[in-house]
This record gives sequence, C-alpha cells and structure tokens, in this order.
Amino acid sequence: MSQQLIQGNEACARGALAAGCSFFAGYPISPSSEIAELLARELPPRGSVFIQMEDEIASMGAVLGASLGGRRAMTATSGPGFTLMQEHLGYASLAEIPCVVIDVMRGGPSTGLPTSPAQGDVMQARWGSHGDRATIALAPGSVQEVYSLTIEAFRLAETLRTPVAVLYDEVIGHMREGVELREPTPDELGRRTSPRTAFSPTFLPYAPDENGVAMVPDFGRGYRFHVTGLMHDERGYPTSDNAKVAELLERLERKLEPAVAAVPPERYRLDDASVVLIAYGIVARTARAAVDVLRREGIRAGLLRTRLLWPLPAAALTEVSRSAELVVVAEMNRGQWALEVERLAGDTTVLSPYLKAGGSVITAEELAGHVRRLTREGVAVS
Amino acid sequence: MSWRLDVRCAGSGGQGLALAAVVLAEAGLAAGCQVALTQEYGPEARGGASRADVAISDDVIANPQCGVPSILLALHDKAWRKFATSLPAVSASLESGSTTAVVDRDLVAVAPGTPGVLALPFEAIARDELRAKVVANMVAVGALGRLMGRFGSEIVESAVAKRSPSAFSQLNVVAFRRGWSMMDDLLPAAVPAGR
Repeated sequence: MSQQLIQGNEACARGALAAGCSFFAGYPISPSSEIAELLARELPPRGSVFIQMEDEIASMGAVLGASLGGRRAMTATSGPGFTLMQEHLGYASLAEIPCVVIDVMRGGPSTGLPTSPAQGDVMQARWGSHGDRATIALAPGSVQEVYSLTIEAFRLAETLRTPVAVLYDEVIGHMREGVELREPTPDELGRRTSPRTAFSPTFLPYAPDENGVAMVPDFGRGYRFHVTGLMHDERGYPTSDNAKVAELLERLERKLEPAVAAVPPERYRLDDASVVLIAYGIVARTARAAVDVLRREGIRAGLLRTRLLWPLPAAALTEVSRSAELVVVAEMNRGQWALEVERLAGDTTVLSPYLKAGGSVITAEELAGHVRRLTREGVAVS
Repeated sequence: MSWRLDVRCAGSGGQGLALAAVVLAEAGLAAGCQVALTQEYGPEARGGASRADVAISDDVIANPQCGVPSILLALHDKAWRKFATSLPAVSASLESGSTTAVVDRDLVAVAPGTPGVLALPFEAIARDELRAKVVANMVAVGALGRLMGRFGSEIVESAVAKRSPSAFSQLNVVAFRRGWSMMDDLLPAAVPAGR
C-alpha cells in the first residue's frame, strides 16, 4: 500500500475513523485543533456525530453519554482542556465507560505555552483525577505510530472498558511523514466487553468477566441498570462495604495490566549498553540519533523507547535500569517519568535525567553532550 | 552508503515556504524515500521569520530535526538573518557539514559574489515574467529540486501539481519549470551528491 504525506494530528483523526469512532465532542485547542477540524468534516457525512461543545467539561460528559449509548467515542485536547476533563475521566474509570482522549501536550501551568513542543502532562495523565484512579496512556513517536496507537487506544478502551489517553507533543502532532493507512483487522479493532446473558431481575451489570472487566450493556438494549460515580457493588448500586470497595479498586487497577504486553517498548542497541537512554515521543527520535553518535565515539549507549506511559512498564524499566551503569531519562518537562524510573532503578545505577522545559525539543547533540560529560567524569565506563 | 538531505525553507509567514517544503517532501515520498517535515507553528507562521524543514533520506529518519541544513532557502531578509547565523560553513556544492544557501536576490541583503550563496531572482521572475509574485515559492522549488539532484523533474512537477490549490495548479507548474531551467546555466552537468 502506498504512503501518504500527512501530519500527526491528521493521522490521529484517520486512525480514529479506521477504529470505528462515530462520536466526537470537543473544544478546539492548540496544538490539537486539526484533529477536531478533520473529524468535523469527516464524521457527519458518515452518519456519525461531531459536536463542538461549550468547554472541555461538557465535551467529556458528552463523550461518556455517547459511549454508554454504544458509540466508539473520543475527544481531543491539550493540557488545559485535559485538566477540565479530569473529573469526568474519574467517573469513566469507576463506571467503566470506554473512551479515548487525545492530549497534544503543552508545557507550563494554566494555559502555558500553546504552540511549542512539551511533555507536560505525563503525571497529569496518571494522577490528574483523584482517588487512586488507574489508567492507560500511550505515547506515539512518529506520525505512523500516531495512526496505529490511536487504533490501539480504541481497542484497549473498548475491551478493558476504560478511558485511554494518547499523549504526544506539538512536533509529533504537526510533523508530516509518509504513513500507510492500513485498515485494522477485527482483532486490532477489538470488541466492547458486554453482557453474555439476556436481562433478568438478577442481572448484574458490574459483574466482571474472567479478565476482571465489567460486562456493562449499552443503553437501549433492553437491560435496566444503574450507573454511578459512587463506589458500587456488582448491581451498580452504591455500597460502603469495606471489602467490596477495596476489591473494586483493586480490580480496576488489575484489569489494565494487559496493556503492558500489548504495547511493548522498542529496544535499540541495548544488548551490551552501559549507558541507557529512556525516552518517549519526539525525544525518543533525537535520543536514537544520540545513541548512534555516542556509539561512534566508543560509548556503549542504548535506548529504551517506551510507547506506554501508564500503566508503568515496570518490568522492562527495572531490567534495563538495573543492568546499566548510567541511566538518562530525557523528557521535555521538569522531571515526571524520570521519577518513576528513579523509583525502580537499582542502588548501583547512576541516574542523571536530561530535562528541558523551555518549549523546544531536546536535540541529539544536547543529549550526547550530557552523556559525554558524565562519562568523562567517570560516572560510566564506556 | 545511505544519504540524507536536509532542506530548510525560510521566509516570512505567508510566502508559501510551508507549501514549498510540502512539495519537496511529497516528491521524496513519490521517489520511494523516507521523509519528515517539521515547521514553525507559532505566530511566526503568520508573518514573522518562519521556516519549514524537510529531511529526505533513502534510510530511516530517526531524527527529524535538521541540524546543519544541506540547503537553506531564504526568501526574506529577516529569515536569512535569523537562520544564516547558525551555519558553520556555506558552500556552493552540497558537501557534508556545510550548507548551500539559496536566497532571493532582491529580498535578501547578501553582498554579490558571496561564496557559497546563490542569489537568484525568484520574485522578479514571478512578478515580471509570470505576472504573479505569489508563485515565487514555486520558482524556488524548481531551483531547489534541480540543485538537490536526487529526483527527476517529472517527479517534482507531479508533486507541485498534486499539492497546489486547483486555481494555481497550472501557474505553479509553469513557475516550477522556470525555476528548474534557470539552474541549467548555474550548475555543472553532474550535480554533486548529497550527504
């Protein structure tokens, strides 16, 4: 199949359409607006729905309603809008409502830096909503991967009945690359987890299947049930039973584990690496070039490029960070994912993150220079 | 041996430099190459000194960022002043680690005969010969396509036609051909290979 020259944000919209998205509600915001722009053109002619809402709180509410009605539903935003969506994202996690949220990240608090690349929302994706909410967040590193991971986001959302966030930066969002817009297979699309029995007075909408995913029916299919943001039992009604509450919280976290195997990291020149770079998004691209530069100088460098931020790919991170002498997490923020790696690394590993939060991409030369300085100081043996 | 060309198209927002870069990337893709195009997204894209960078390679483009561009096209003086300062060396031929600068003769203040700088009358040709100043970007695309020496004119011309707004398609193709042919007198028969 031939490749098309398209932007990251367009690849996202194309991926959503290929994944069967039939409902978008959102509020345009840089640097994500092209997603809404394209879906506003493409959804209505297909008999699908595009709504520009009054704000991001309402957008997320509309997405949840559409999803409960059986639609594959999504929104797209940036940091400030993602903040407004957190309340409803918590509701979606607890009520097990599938949905996809694209966050083309900004840097800085409040409206921050709208038109420059940053990776400011990594921890917001994890902890932006209260109460030990577990979640999934993906991090594509190319325009092709924006397409494929948007499709994967819908599969994970539908099969695990959970919100899935896709986080990328302005450069990935606006970069144009050749993309093969391959139609997903039925397995790649996945099917929404739903009830296996007809409605009866003893029907339990929140009884989990063998994978720990509630089998909630879509509205209008002849089932009578209750949806709430309160801790609930398998009937879907509020409960304060200590054991049931603890069990539900544990199940909501455990059911997301398949995402770790589904979206494995990419390993580049790691086999004999004493210096391990860890990066995601656009930074993983420049980090790969930095690895090549360092290798030519005789420094045994490698790269772990993660495509999954949450749940944390802890096994892979533990393995590479404990086998290395020097670990450098490179990210365009003040140090977010670096904290998680620090938690997992062994006592003998030196950790020296390379952080840049001014609104420009970490260059290969900056990263290579950082590693060079540390090796000269004897931190890592090349 | 794999090769990579980095072309930086710089000018003032609105001159069509982003379209010029898209055309070059589209030509690269049509020729079976890997391409990555990044561009200024801020307010510069609407009137400041803006740029669009295209990387074209026969190999995977790990790093889409353009360090030292192989070719710097500048159609405006403020863009030239912004981006020329970071060049380690300019060279009239495409050599590794140096940049061939291609500037508009009338819009960029460069002393005549400056080594490594091709000062060409893109806007003058568009305005006086083609009666449309707005197609200066496509005259420049013709010159750049020829200078790059990687693709035949028909591949780049198809990209011009594919990416032009329909009302400008024919005029853009004419402008492209004019730019391509203006390099005949300036380049040696065999164009040096890219890095």
